[in-house]
Amino acid sequence: MSDLYRKLVDLYAGNELPEELVAELQSTAAKDESLATDMATLKQTVDILKSEPAPEFNESDYLRIIFRMQTAGADIEFAEEERNSGQYQLPM
Amino acid sequence: MSSNPRDDSLAEKRWLNALAKGDTTALNELYKMYGEKIFRYTYRMLGNRADAEDATAETFLRVLRRANDLRADGAFKTWLFRIARNLCIDKMRQPKLLEISGERSYTGTEERAALRVTVQNALNELPMDYREPLILCDLEDISAKEAADTLGISVPALKSRLYRGRRALREKLGGSMEKLK
Repeated sequence: MSDLYRKLVDLYAGNELPEELVAELQSTAAKDESLATDMATLKQTVDILKSEPAPEFNESDYLRIIFRMQTAGADIEFAEEERNSGQYQLPM
Repeated sequence: MSSNPRDDSLAEKRWLNALAKGDTTALNELYKMYGEKIFRYTYRMLGNRADAEDATAETFLRVLRRANDLRADGAFKTWLFRIARNLCIDKMRQPKLLEISGERSYTGTEERAALRVTVQNALNELPMDYREPLILCDLEDISAKEAADTLGISVPALKSRLYRGRRALREKLGGSMEKLK
């Protein structure tokens, strides 16, 4: 595979390729099995990564980290509602 | 954090200025804005919750210690990630962390969970030069510019590592990818 096609496949896999070039690349891939395989498997790799779930970060994680900061001597003040309720709304 | 980047930027400036003036509630507000992002990044880098919590706490402690030097010039987020990255690298150099922690909490079917472990193991086997761009850009969805600034490299260099990293990961995953469909 030429360097040009390799670069195009890299861009295609990361959804960075303009639509008209995607169509052109797919048209070429229809006649080139190795190019088609490269496109499909690299795109699948990126899709797998992007669909990996984020590590859970809940209220107790949030508070435990604040506790660690306080233990290390940081003078961190909680917002009033957190001090009163122990509840924290994770930022969206 | 609001859904409006301009509001976030204004809030960030306000809290950085407040912190520089000694207002300690400001650190809590900055932690609310970025704490989860930093935790997720450090967790991806270190692979276990306790070390990620340590690294996240230390990142914000450094913000506190450097409060007078911080400038609200829009580069705070990148600076924060750079601090977190350096802490992760330090932690990874510590001998105890060379023992791979098996801690990963995956949900879903057993097969799906097993395959996620395969992906994680494949990622862990990659050289850092490849792994870091994949974590920042593909897992944490950080822009190429911010990722490049975090790693202290140019955007073209970042993209080159990212593309090579994806291909290297594909090789590592091999036949496992079929099962992940």
